[in-house]
Amino acid sequence: MAAAEFVVRLIRGVNWTVLVTGIIIVATVVFVLVAGLGKDPQHIDSPLVGKPAPPFALKAVNTGETIDLESLRGKPVIVNFWATWCGPCYLEHPTLVANARQLPDVQFIGVVFNDTEDKINRFLAERGNAYPTLLDANGKTAIAYGVGGVPETYFINAAGTIVAKFEGPMSTEILQENLAKALR
Amino acid sequence: MIATFFLLALLQIKVPDAAAIVGQPEGVPLSGQQLERRTMAISAELRCPVCQGLAIGDSPSIMAANMKAQVRELLERGYTEEQILSYFEKSYGQFVLLKPKFQGVNALVWILPIAVLAIGFVLVVSKAKKLEAAPVAAAPEEQVDDPYLARVREMVEKS
Repeated sequence: MAAAEFVVRLIRGVNWTVLVTGIIIVATVVFVLVAGLGKDPQHIDSPLVGKPAPPFALKAVNTGETIDLESLRGKPVIVNFWATWCGPCYLEHPTLVANARQLPDVQFIGVVFNDTEDKINRFLAERGNAYPTLLDANGKTAIAYGVGGVPETYFINAAGTIVAKFEGPMSTEILQENLAKALR
Repeated sequence: MIATFFLLALLQIKVPDAAAIVGQPEGVPLSGQQLERRTMAISAELRCPVCQGLAIGDSPSIMAANMKAQVRELLERGYTEEQILSYFEKSYGQFVLLKPKFQGVNALVWILPIAVLAIGFVLVVSKAKKLEAAPVAAAPEEQVDDPYLARVREMVEKS
């Protein structure tokens, strides 16, 4: 009985304007925080997805051949930005090498920035060397692709359009899922 | 140094050029102290993509250093601030701009603080006017239930 009386007195004493305003403000803040919970703060949506891949022609440090992206039109291309000073790049390298050997109709390209030829060649000799690796010495190609950090991988379809971007170390599942978009 | 330059020239046959992205330079090529000042100013407006909330001018990361070098090079070639910001925005999106553009949902970032301040000001003024207009009610006679206080009053009145 006393509890019921207490509740009635509590309800009568409420300032409804203040209560509703408070609920709206708190609900908005909670909604914004919850919406951001599952998101990676490092992730950047690329404005280049759906647009033509920025053209480049660089010499491969491991094979000596010149790779001109525009000359690769007609088949899907996977451009992987990496560096020998990047820890996660060591993790994904075996996956990329294995998939490049299994998928001869897909052109894999490695683009390394802020690194040296010696270190790249040593890395490839020790960990597998299955596709051309280009040196983007001053990072201009990486900037044109909107690369934030390495590793980052771009999937380009046969028409030369970027169809997907993946940040972080690549797994075979992620590679195949994104490659499927390039093969459509 | 010269060997490095020639090595880079040999390795980089073609890199994506700003002209293909934002057109020909629309400004005056800069050099010397003016170039450094403008490089610093524009670098303060671009977000470092690998850091949390740092401008490329303040970041020690390799990516930020590359982007800053690119800003300097574009200024040397005569690109304007607007063209340079647009060049980076085309690759990284609006994320790269530390000062969001007044458009779309981003406009809320500019409008909301001003709107909230204006609403707060109107509320305070209207409340103050109401208080000013209301007659000052006489204080009700205090009901004393406290026996100690009653006893003290009684003693005071007697003395």
